[in-house]
Amino acid sequence: MLPKEYIAVLDPFSEEAREIIGSSPPVEELPEEIRENAVKRVAWKTGEMRVGPDTESVRKDVLSFYLMCQSVASVSYPYSREVRAVSESTRNTIRYRMYDLYRSGMWEECLRAVGRSMRVVELDALQAPPEGLSIPRSDLIVIRALELQADGIDPSDRIADQYEPRYAVRWIDLAPLLKYRRAELTRMYLVRGWSVITLRDIWNLYANFIAVKTEEYIQSVYERILDSGVPRDALVSIGRRIVASLPRAPPGVEGMVRGPSRRLNPEFFPPCVKSALAGTGAGLRNYAVSVLLTSFLSYARLSPPPSAVKITDVTTDLSVVREEIVPMIFEAAERCNPPLFSDQPQEKGGIFYHLGFGMTTNPTPADSGKSKWYRPPNCAKIQMSAPPLCVPDELCRSVKNPLTYYFRKIAEERARR
Amino acid sequence: MLMRESTPEERRRFYAEEWSEGEIPEFLVKTLHMREFGFDMDGKGPSNRYNQFMTTSELGNFLRRWAPYSAYASVAMYRRPSAREGWMRSELALDIDAKDLPIKTCGCPQGKVCERCIEDARLIAVEFAETLRGDLDLRDVHFVYSGRGFHIRISDEKAMELQQTERGQIVEYVTGGVVPSDLTMALGYSRVFRERAARTLSRIDEARMVEGGIRRSAAARILACREKAVSALRSGRFDEISEIGDLGERTFMKLLELLARINMECTDGKVTVDTKRILRLPSSLHSGVSMKCMLIRDIEKFRLEDAVPRFIREASP
Repeated sequence: MLPKEYIAVLDPFSEEAREIIGSSPPVEELPEEIRENAVKRVAWKTGEMRVGPDTESVRKDVLSFYLMCQSVASVSYPYSREVRAVSESTRNTIRYRMYDLYRSGMWEECLRAVGRSMRVVELDALQAPPEGLSIPRSDLIVIRALELQADGIDPSDRIADQYEPRYAVRWIDLAPLLKYRRAELTRMYLVRGWSVITLRDIWNLYANFIAVKTEEYIQSVYERILDSGVPRDALVSIGRRIVASLPRAPPGVEGMVRGPSRRLNPEFFPPCVKSALAGTGAGLRNYAVSVLLTSFLSYARLSPPPSAVKITDVTTDLSVVREEIVPMIFEAAERCNPPLFSDQPQEKGGIFYHLGFGMTTNPTPADSGKSKWYRPPNCAKIQMSAPPLCVPDELCRSVKNPLTYYFRKIAEERARR
Repeated sequence: MLMRESTPEERRRFYAEEWSEGEIPEFLVKTLHMREFGFDMDGKGPSNRYNQFMTTSELGNFLRRWAPYSAYASVAMYRRPSAREGWMRSELALDIDAKDLPIKTCGCPQGKVCERCIEDARLIAVEFAETLRGDLDLRDVHFVYSGRGFHIRISDEKAMELQQTERGQIVEYVTGGVVPSDLTMALGYSRVFRERAARTLSRIDEARMVEGGIRRSAAARILACREKAVSALRSGRFDEISEIGDLGERTFMKLLELLARINMECTDGKVTVDTKRILRLPSSLHSGVSMKCMLIRDIEKFRLEDAVPRFIREASP
């Protein structure tokens, strides 16, 4: 018999899990075992994914999950390799737990969790006459064969129950997965709005739901950190250990997401940045150029982890600053009406000041850290300080910082390709 | 059918004498106050944006007073439409523009339309709607004749909440824009793809096939037995098509990918994924071609003559 909180190990975003988090001590006071698990979860093997059927085990599991997410958000950023690793490991963990419970005869427990995200019905019930779906038997055989093929199993082997298409979900319930392309309509078997699925699909779909929520949660923590300044030391330290524990990305892969080698792609800039780059009028110039563009372009180009406080924490090669970031800022300043530096030449120094080099127009690595390297302001601040710059598009609605917008666009483009 | 630009006087006459509030579809009337309206006053594009009307008579007064070149309403519903702020939801819309169909069998150049192009667009709209209803179980599906093609506008509550990526996936599904993992199933996407690909294969010419990477000799062989190939494709007998064209596995795949790409061009995907798009207002005049943009109650019975405004009918001999 499982305790009622057990659902939290299948759904760490459930009410039950939130209650556990609500009564947790500060991160610095968490027991060593939980801190260790937060680091190890990313590389758990199946046996380690199991959680004992007692309240204390559930509590430890939920706390280590949240500690892992918050720590990664403290040293990385949304859509990074690290965040993807956390999301994938979470997906694998949830999927294994579902499978494990099913094997142990506790499928009802799984369905209780799944039912909170999507309505699953048995295909037999849907096919009941007179109004029922009429699905050719031959199609069901093909669906099963495709499922087996996906797992590399020979259809002539004894077929496990999990490959039988016996269930259905409404495709519209899968919209959160379609949004992140974790499910594709053209790979579903759709009849009258129902997607015919197997048990294996239920585990996969549900595990992907939780993975998507995990990424969204990390994004929200990341944006909170951006807003409040420097993340907590305890989280940074665990975050660094998680990053160090990840296998190195193959050459070229890491650079696709982050790192100084990635050139800026203006196509993916948010509307406020595009508008600032196009040049603004007298009242907006200083904010658009010195505050928004300077911080946004430098952070978008250099992709520093939140723990970096100066540009030389990311790179000592200032040619990136001089040849890529600053020219874009200066050109935008020139496009202002009147051009920003024509009546405020001192603002050239202001640009480098906001980049953390102190008041200079010819920065050296030694200057880095002489002033604060400003983070990109949050959308709410931009809207308050420079309302005409903020003409949100659809994606803006789901982010709180222009930097997140940019990284997400890049990630979406990569997924699309 | 004469399709010519209307004069300012004809526009004024249309809105004063022919236009009626009753022709605004119910799905728009119910949410009129939540939509952004845009107008093209002089034929240079819809630059008059951010308009909000609380009632149809308020909208009617505007149309009668200004007789705009074109009138548009957003697919989106906003809390503050006059500021285009507070997005709540958007209709799911598909735009099948007869002038942009990827394959024209009538000989019209790209960008031009004739009655045959419009009929082709209508048939595509019918197919899309069947899939939207049958496979995706969408119920509030409305057809609008836009003046040069058709809009399918869907206002099922759940579909209206979808974001860009999901809408993009619907375009892929409905158009048959992706080669499926299985081509033989009787229902589902497998069937959708086969039907769309068969339609495309029945119209494609040799040049387009060669452009898509099919050897000229193979293309010629397939087109020589086009009917047989189309029928084989429709019923999933793929060995037969490979046999006809003497195609290897890779070339066969190339052919399917080419058909999928062309399928996808049957609608402008940008319209579907844009949740803040403005679409021509049903009941208004498309002044570029002097045709009424109108809700179609029965797509099977749609006749182009129904969309001809009185000033054109009366001017015709």
